[in-house]
Amino acid sequence: MNRATSYLKTFALWELLKGLSITSRNFFRKSVTIEYPEEKTPQSHRFRGLHALRRYPNGEERCIACKLCEAVCPALAITIESDVGDDGTRRTTRYDIDLFKCIYCGFCEEACPVDAIVETRIHEYHMEAPGENIMTKDKLLAVGDKYDAMISADKAADAPYK
Amino acid sequence: MSDDIVNIEVDGEPVEARKGQMVMEVTDKIGAYIPRFCYHEKLSIAANCRMCLVEIEKAPKPMPACATPVGEGMKVFTRSAKAIAAQKATMEFLLINHPLDCPICDQGGECELQDLAMGYGRDVSRYNDRKRVVKDKDIGPLVSTDMTRCIHCTRCVRFGEEITGMPQLGTTERGEDMKIGTYVENSIDHELSANIIDLCPVGALNNKPYRYSARAWEMTQHATISPHDCVGSNLYAHVLRGTVKRVVPRDNESINETWISDRDRFSYQAIYSRERLQAPRVKESGEWRELDWDEALSKAADALNHANGERIGMLASPSVTVEEAHLLVQLAKHLGTNNIDHRITRRDFSDQDNDPTFPWLGVDIADLERQNAIFVVGSNLRREAPILAHRVRKSALAGAQVSFANSQEHDYFFKIANSLSGVGLVEMLAGVALAAVGKSVPDQIAGLLSDIEPSKAQNAIAESLKDADDALVLIGNVAGRHAAFSAVRVLSAVIADATGARIGYLSEGSNTAGAHLAGLLPHRGQGGKSRSGEALNASTMLDEKLDAVVLVNVEPDADIRSTEDAVAKLAKQAFVVALTPFVSEALLAAADLLLPIGTFAETSGTYINAAGTWQSFAGIANPVGESRPAWKVLRVIGNLVEAPEFDYVTSEDVRDEIAAAVGDVNPDNAYAGNRKIAKPNGADVSPDDIDTPLYSVDGMVRRAEALQLTAEACRVTTGDRS
Repeated sequence: MNRATSYLKTFALWELLKGLSITSRNFFRKSVTIEYPEEKTPQSHRFRGLHALRRYPNGEERCIACKLCEAVCPALAITIESDVGDDGTRRTTRYDIDLFKCIYCGFCEEACPVDAIVETRIHEYHMEAPGENIMTKDKLLAVGDKYDAMISADKAADAPYK
Repeated sequence: MSDDIVNIEVDGEPVEARKGQMVMEVTDKIGAYIPRFCYHEKLSIAANCRMCLVEIEKAPKPMPACATPVGEGMKVFTRSAKAIAAQKATMEFLLINHPLDCPICDQGGECELQDLAMGYGRDVSRYNDRKRVVKDKDIGPLVSTDMTRCIHCTRCVRFGEEITGMPQLGTTERGEDMKIGTYVENSIDHELSANIIDLCPVGALNNKPYRYSARAWEMTQHATISPHDCVGSNLYAHVLRGTVKRVVPRDNESINETWISDRDRFSYQAIYSRERLQAPRVKESGEWRELDWDEALSKAADALNHANGERIGMLASPSVTVEEAHLLVQLAKHLGTNNIDHRITRRDFSDQDNDPTFPWLGVDIADLERQNAIFVVGSNLRREAPILAHRVRKSALAGAQVSFANSQEHDYFFKIANSLSGVGLVEMLAGVALAAVGKSVPDQIAGLLSDIEPSKAQNAIAESLKDADDALVLIGNVAGRHAAFSAVRVLSAVIADATGARIGYLSEGSNTAGAHLAGLLPHRGQGGKSRSGEALNASTMLDEKLDAVVLVNVEPDADIRSTEDAVAKLAKQAFVVALTPFVSEALLAAADLLLPIGTFAETSGTYINAAGTWQSFAGIANPVGESRPAWKVLRVIGNLVEAPEFDYVTSEDVRDEIAAAVGDVNPDNAYAGNRKIAKPNGADVSPDDIDTPLYSVDGMVRRAEALQLTAEACRVTTGDRS
């Protein structure tokens, strides 16, 4: 490269054309922008979103109130109270997750010996009033019931890696 | 002495041991831990779990450390490859049948098997066959069973045989089919039986009221003291978010060893009873209404301010803390009354000037098991102080002559030397006294001993006390409540004098000693100094027309025995303020103002046990409803009536003040009186209610649901007092 070539390139707008070539090349490429919420990005089956409590196919709650999730939770987001259930088994009388405290680490799911507490792929939710950040046992079970098919499929997909 | 010492080597370290010691005792002492399940310091050696196998030089096979006596030159390897392999193999066998349900097991997190499986278990099971399943048993309302989890260490069986003497659990069949059970369907009924919960190394025997309500790791442990008997057993309360979840023993060799009575363990249920008084209440023209503390306290202060000093009466339970007792005494002093008493179960006050400074056990609790002869006078010992009954049983098993004189005979599960029962207590003692003094009858009791011929048993009792190096005459609560208590005491003193025995008292509640030392008595002040002037005691107080009566932790129907119809008598008084944790029909009928106070778990305080040991404890649970610690309530009432120097900030301030005022008290039960005691005649026949049933001693115990479901409590409600 000498000074003469550089001088010529300045008059030929070489740098500009070089830059525009990238623009024009991408101009005709397929767009990567997703039109959320109409369109969505692909999610891993391991995505950690809203929590749910699951049931067995016969409708029995899975949770046995062992409190391992409460113990492992690094954000102290889980509060459990337990007692002897109607059928004489160990059951929760209260199972609260504070979504403001939760850091979505997924440790609760890993600690659970019966796959009762899971983090679903749901990440689109909001709260309008104070107190709605507390996911009570009823709300968690309702999420579990509603998305049972999705949760089961995710669990099945992850099974080979466990 | 040197003959008794053997030199052994543990893991290469030379150690001195006593001859006859087991390897496990030596390694425990030097801190070399050997895993174990069946071995327990307080129980005999069974060596059936095989977890403590260690390598011993020249022994062909690994030996169980708990059952191998030390020998000169023995070399023990606790961590050698051979020892570890043996321990791991044992663990694998134990885990064959043990269910893997730790997440739902209450023992999970504090389980000896779980802990040791972390160190000695394999990560993957090699066992693929069916596991054994054992049907659960219903052994009463206190202990829950999950027998599939049992590893057959037999600690519970040995506890029944050796500690309670009432073998209710045993093993049937053998090998794979071995089961722990009660043989026939039966509940576990001894008053110490729930200790098997702590003994069980796995989750087979667990705390039934606590079942599934919390986990070991989430509770905080707080030291406290039992409020139910004069022993002052050391407890740990396990608290979750300000709520007491369960109570377990705190080891104290000089008091309760490692045991506690079922009463101490389950009475915490009453803290959350539906009968707790939630807020202050006042009776206005026959109607009860709730009011706030400020108004309630000023009502109480007004009533006391407007009352004539001499027309104020105060009755407290013998289980109030030293601090409460002191504040009450100071308050009474300021108001100008001596009408204060805590002896609400006593009937006979005629000889009260000869009471000891405080009723002392006579010996240290630990020394109770080293007596050579004990004569228990008027006591249902096992029900009054289960831990002391255990100590007495130990002394009996060691060869002591233990005799009883009581209106009823009770089972004691050891060989009773002589037992007197059936007739009046005074009459029984008179025979023993005559046998003890022989011809030199003291003037004092000459009238009592006329025309009496000692029976064979009475002679034998006097003889046993005379022959013993360490002899004790133990006066129980039944005697203390007896209408002829003064005669009983004089006779006991004569017997003790003539035989060289000591006198000991079992006292009521948890703090009779503290109430005595604080001066919660009409005739004596702090440290036993006598008071001047006339005063009303627990028996005469309610017969008067008083301007104001203060009750502290007293339920007039169930607690007051010193006078008949206490409820009706209280209802007639002008104004009755009751500081009480509970509300009952009787309190609503008797009182005009109810102030909710905390139970022992919600207040700080100090109890002095029968041996004179001061034991302070802190408040450990959140107060229920609007209740406040009683010492704070009394302090504020003191401020409102403008009592001087009532600016205590903590209960420690109060305790330090009373401790300084009392100083060092030398406990002395020697009887110095010379009143002539005549025949009590009618007073010698004890009424039915003189013996308070095991689970009726105080408001808390009466409201502990699990205790009220026991066979012992049901016998009382159905009227069978045997």
